[in-house]
Amino acid sequence: MQSTFDRRRINGPEESLPPVFISEPQDTFSNTPVARKSRKVSDIRPIFLQPGLITQANGSAYIETERTKIACSVYGPRQSKNTAYNEKGKLNVEVKFAPFSCEHRRAPLRDAEDRSIAVAIQQALLPSVQLEHFPKSTIDVFVIILEADGIEGCIASGAIAASTALANAGIDMYGLVTSCAAAVIEADIWVDPTQEESNTANGTLVLSCMPALGIVTNSWQTGRMTPSELLACIDACSGRCTDIHSVVAQGLLNSAHDET
Amino acid sequence: MASDLVLPGQPIPLPRGPVPQLGRGVYEKDEQVRASLVGVPHFEGSSLVISRLRPQPPAPNSVVLGSITRLSPLQALLSITVVDDIPLPPGEEFTGVIRSQDVRATEKDKVKIGDCFRGGDVVRGLVISLGDARSYFITTARNDLGVIFATSEAGATMEPVSWQEMRCPKTGKIEKRKCAKPEGLS
Repeated sequence: MQSTFDRRRINGPEESLPPVFISEPQDTFSNTPVARKSRKVSDIRPIFLQPGLITQANGSAYIETERTKIACSVYGPRQSKNTAYNEKGKLNVEVKFAPFSCEHRRAPLRDAEDRSIAVAIQQALLPSVQLEHFPKSTIDVFVIILEADGIEGCIASGAIAASTALANAGIDMYGLVTSCAAAVIEADIWVDPTQEESNTANGTLVLSCMPALGIVTNSWQTGRMTPSELLACIDACSGRCTDIHSVVAQGLLNSAHDET
Repeated sequence: MASDLVLPGQPIPLPRGPVPQLGRGVYEKDEQVRASLVGVPHFEGSSLVISRLRPQPPAPNSVVLGSITRLSPLQALLSITVVDDIPLPPGEEFTGVIRSQDVRATEKDKVKIGDCFRGGDVVRGLVISLGDARSYFITTARNDLGVIFATSEAGATMEPVSWQEMRCPKTGKIEKRKCAKPEGLS
């Protein structure tokens, strides 16, 4: 019997076999980047975005970019309980990894990675939400990562899904937030890196902005980058964010048409 | 028209002339009127609004429906379930409080909460302020506000006989309530 047996959860069978992946996972981490086959370094992965998939939630969105799959639901505005009187509302973001989301099983417990992604997404969304319209209230955003392919992609896709879900929930916003990641790999800028690509990168940047207003809401940088590389990354990301904005806009318009 | 749908952050083209009053769902930034919700902007009176049918938290002057959950000599606690004719999702009720001085407009000091409300009564009220950290302040000091649905001790739905009394159709007994005037009566 396992020592970390959790009787409050549905536990898997005692015997199990590893799943067969379509693409064999790489056994060794190589530090040499593998050239992209299906897209150019300046291209992002194709996005599938569907607002309003979770009917129980006030608003929701599902996003899929190849092997990154994220569902997001928005509840509220509901009354803040056990807090002091607050003129402005509160935006609460919670990120959860599904146990099967990564190559290694993730225990259904909150760890530091969930929280840092939640903070990054919350900071990306915060300038876009008109919280002064929601005194004494809390807006809860739940991001569930069903499949992860790189933490940068998770933050970017999570922010896009969360902003779409907020718009779907009818929360007043200044603008839609879109987000894009870029990595510096051997003096080149690779947009929207996968897990393997960001492992070989010198540094990565996640940029969130509101393209309709031309406002950057958040940037999250890791690793090493020269200033000129950073500026090139910002340029590449903000260009892609404008492209993503039209995807989000189309998705929201389609779902608004279906509702009426 | 479907093409008139706007998204958050999208500029709203306005006819030339003075800028209209801005209502819910629109905002102004750098002299440009923009949408903050997904919807079709239209005029409601003189103000430009994007209406939404999603539940929203109570605000001052919104009419709410709720049921009485708790009584004390000074106040009655209300669990708000409908705000401005839009029902809230189950489990996301707001709590309101009707203080004894807010029950009716006259003879405020003679109000006995127990003679105005009972647990489980459905009450229509008006939000007067955001209140304290816990609850919104609600008033019923208007003819059309007060108890709109109540059951008697015998369990039957009572009918109002005056603005202070309700009668049980089963036993004929009269119970005291602060009744709301039914709509459509002169």
